[in-house]
Amino acid sequence: MISLRNVSLAYPNGTRALDNVSLEIGKGEFVFLVGHSGTGKTSLLRLLYREMGPTAGDITVDGIRVDRLKHSRIPALRRHLGVVFQDYKLLADKTVWENVAFAMQVTGAHSRDVERQVPRALDLVGLAHKSRMYPGELSGGEQQRTAIARALVNNPKLLLCDEPTGNLDPTTTTEIMELLGRINIKGTTVVVATHNSAVVDRMRRRVVRMEDGRVVTDEERGYYYLGLGQDQILSG
Amino acid sequence: MDWGKTKFFLGEVVRNFTRNAAMQITAIGTVAVTIVLLGAFLFVRATLAGLGTDLLSQIEISVYTTNDATPKQVAALESALRADPRVASVEFIPKKQGLIEMKDRVKGEIDMSLLTENPLPDKLRVKVKAPETVPAVAASAQKMPGVANAVFGQDVVAKMLRLGSVLRGIGIGVIVVFVLVAGIIISNTIRLTVFARRREIAIMQLVGATNTYIRMPFICEGLLDGILGAAIALGLLALAKTTLWPRLLEALPGFSLANVRVDGTAMALELLLVGALVGAVASWISVGRYLRT
Repeated sequence: MISLRNVSLAYPNGTRALDNVSLEIGKGEFVFLVGHSGTGKTSLLRLLYREMGPTAGDITVDGIRVDRLKHSRIPALRRHLGVVFQDYKLLADKTVWENVAFAMQVTGAHSRDVERQVPRALDLVGLAHKSRMYPGELSGGEQQRTAIARALVNNPKLLLCDEPTGNLDPTTTTEIMELLGRINIKGTTVVVATHNSAVVDRMRRRVVRMEDGRVVTDEERGYYYLGLGQDQILSG
Repeated sequence: MDWGKTKFFLGEVVRNFTRNAAMQITAIGTVAVTIVLLGAFLFVRATLAGLGTDLLSQIEISVYTTNDATPKQVAALESALRADPRVASVEFIPKKQGLIEMKDRVKGEIDMSLLTENPLPDKLRVKVKAPETVPAVAASAQKMPGVANAVFGQDVVAKMLRLGSVLRGIGIGVIVVFVLVAGIIISNTIRLTVFARRREIAIMQLVGATNTYIRMPFICEGLLDGILGAAIALGLLALAKTTLWPRLLEALPGFSLANVRVDGTAMALELLLVGALVGAVASWISVGRYLRT
């Protein structure tokens, strides 16, 4: 699903965000990207949905050479993946239903498909009963569910999440993560950048750890902190 | 036709238009003021040009025959002039009538009774279809047999023709400046509305809307600004034409505008088109700057 080969990224001001990163993520995987702030997690995600291009290296997402993507082809790429952010990025003057439908309407979807798929996405995130409310009337968790529904409404094969629970309390965080888990079970590849150690440790999924723009470890069923697994095995 | 899709799109346009009402009013007002100035200028220019053409159309060429020209020669000359496609009419003025006309013209200034005989030759009064051809027609008449002299108000014609080309030149310059100014102001106004909607644009880009699609509502907004502004301007201009213009003419005696016709409908359509185009192009440019990130 995702393949990065020797990818480097330097910002125009000279900051080196990614340094020779290589990473393979298969179809249907659930992957945590962990590391401190400023280690390149967000930059890596931005490269995947082509918010920017790499300075060097090859990037393939769902068979598309993203690093060589022409400007005019970017919309097509983004229709095949969903992105979720810490700040939800909802439109305050649109209802939950309208926010989710927006993603289909502005890409020229037929209204018949909008009528069919929006309720389905809202059902999946458990917000069908609040579809007429405005983001300002919702809790943080509900706003994030709305954002997830919007990201999923076009049935993407890949869901990218940048600190999806950064603004949420622990209980809501658990709910959102369980939702992402369910979405993954239905076949969507999910990549979550986070520095929430509790979430990572509870889920026991693949953990890619980043430091200073490099991938330092990549564990199949990892913990947030390096070596924690072995400690537990020893103590257990 | 997918009505749900159309309804959504139009809803977005109307919503954005009404949400930034204050800014839209600024843009519409700018277009209106510009088009009023432009329209007034164009109208005055067309009137002046019409006046010039009217004066020029009254210009005639006097073709004087030689004293020894036989009536047959004069008749041949007359039909030769008539055959010229540039000529509108030819009138034969025998020397007797010429003298009467002259006496009439100089009455009280020169005592013509001292003349013992008629010194005037026969004359052909030639009118042309297009004023620009006066000098050429006069020149060709001059070369015909039996012609002593072909004269017209040389300096008047030259001045009028020059006035016409100067008016055209100034016209193009002024129009360009007006349109540029309106374009820049609309472009800035739209940029403000684009800025107010940057969040929405970012989300559209995120979910895969094409740049063309993102642009469309803004283009419609600019079009609407341009058309509404031009419509208001046309209303004001029409009002000015019926109330101010006649009084202005009264205040300027000596100008006969009875024969001057300005095609108001065509001008109104042109101004509407200018307004719409300026609005659309200006917003295209200002959104384009924002999309190129």
